[in-house]
Amino acid sequence: MSASQEPVINVQAVSKWFGSVVAVNDVSLQVFPGITGLLGPNGAGKSTLLHMITGKASCSEGEVTILGQPARDNPGLYRSVGVMSEHEAVYGFQTGRQFVEFAAKLHGLHPVSEPVDRAIGLVGLEDVQHRTLATYSRGMRQRMRLAAALVHDPQVLVMDEPLNGTDPRQRLEFHDTMVHFAEQGRTILISSHILEEVESIATRILLMVSGKLAAAGDFRAIRAKLDEQAYQVRVVTDSPRKMASALAGTDYVDSVSIGENSELTVLSRNVASLQRSIPQLAQEHGIRLLRVEPLDDSLESIFSYVVDR
Amino acid sequence: MSAIFWVSIRQLTGPWRIVLVLLLAALPVGLAVIVHFVADDDPSFHRDFTTNLLDHMLITGILPIITMALATSAFGNELEDRTLGYLSLTPLARWRIFLPKMLASLVICGPLLLISGITATLLGFDGEVRPTVAVAVALSVGVLSYSAIFTWAGLVTTRALPFALVYVLLWEGVISSFIRGVDYLSVRGYTLAIMSGLDKPSFPALGEQVIEFPVAVVGAAIVTVLFLFLGVRRLRRMDVP
Repeated sequence: MSASQEPVINVQAVSKWFGSVVAVNDVSLQVFPGITGLLGPNGAGKSTLLHMITGKASCSEGEVTILGQPARDNPGLYRSVGVMSEHEAVYGFQTGRQFVEFAAKLHGLHPVSEPVDRAIGLVGLEDVQHRTLATYSRGMRQRMRLAAALVHDPQVLVMDEPLNGTDPRQRLEFHDTMVHFAEQGRTILISSHILEEVESIATRILLMVSGKLAAAGDFRAIRAKLDEQAYQVRVVTDSPRKMASALAGTDYVDSVSIGENSELTVLSRNVASLQRSIPQLAQEHGIRLLRVEPLDDSLESIFSYVVDR
Repeated sequence: MSAIFWVSIRQLTGPWRIVLVLLLAALPVGLAVIVHFVADDDPSFHRDFTTNLLDHMLITGILPIITMALATSAFGNELEDRTLGYLSLTPLARWRIFLPKMLASLVICGPLLLISGITATLLGFDGEVRPTVAVAVALSVGVLSYSAIFTWAGLVTTRALPFALVYVLLWEGVISSFIRGVDYLSVRGYTLAIMSGLDKPSFPALGEQVIEFPVAVVGAAIVTVLFLFLGVRRLRRMDVP
């Protein structure tokens, strides 16, 4: 993005409060073509912000524009904007195809068959399109909802936790679809509370913590900053000393301690390498892994870290 | 618009709701049939009984309750299931969302109520056309006004049904029956006045009790348009869950 480039989504000093609870506090941000990830722990205000960006909710203060137009009370804008909300509810009595056709009709498309075929093809659900949505798995429903959000070929796509309920293969397909979309010059804003979910897709990220924008910018720069943060992981095995020794021998583990009940607490600044290597080390040394879990609620601690800095 | 209409029809025709509505609509017909075949042949008795049946059972009770059960659910279902976003995050003008929702409830409960009222009137008035037409027109106006009110109510609160029930029982049922001035602000009052105004000789018992016919027509039109406007405005201004 160049400095002179107009933002596609422009959020100006937006706040939202419900009674005495401030959900979003004086947030200003800009979103440009490409894929932007909106990250934050649960309760950070991501969904409320997305509701205001998509015009679903009014701003208590400030304003949001998309493509230079006000996002609120502006139905015509939805010709260029596709929205996939966090709620997974659908009309269970409709088939997947009827659901996408319904979205196409509401967006004024005529005839609908070609765009519906294209949208369903994009999410790879041609085989089950004539089954009722009530019989779909959670992941299939999410993909059909994505097809409905894409059916009118929007310039801007806003998605709230779109990967909920999807399996790794579906995530990969989702990733490809989004990258393909972004390559066409479109603007995609994806929210998630799971860092790794957005890491592989987004080129820019917006970090929200406690209703405020904690950081915004190039993903790699923020990721590098995040990598300075040490993570604590609890590892339970049938051979704790052997595992501790194996872990201590790697260059991405800062410290390993053996606590009560022989549980290991591992401190690392490279959680991705740690996650990959624990099962490998266990296999190599013939150790049986009983439990591996993060000790700190990782995103919250990461965000606190970023905010504190 | 037709896409929303048909989805709404499908949403509103759940088996339990339809059975309940059918049973309620069948009540006046059942009573009219029993009286027609059991009571003696005094025509004035049949007319008085039918007038009371139409006033106290159909127009005061069944008309608002059936319309309420369907119209509050038109948007109530969407809010409860959190599917309203599928309708509102589209380029459709807001009236093109509200109107088909209201029409869907109207199309389901209107014919049922008309069949119920027309059948009861034909039986009680020995097949006379004029009172039957008066009842049909009055019920059509009543169901239209109630649909607008209750469709709006379903959009304003997820607890529209209990609120609407209190409104129907207290305002339309008790208060408007005993305090004459309230009829000027009551759909029941408009419905009865239109019925009486279209055929005064057939409904002499209503003559002195109801408000003026032109006032009723204008009142019903104002209520319908007002709640249509409020519903569309609500759709524009509300935060979609």
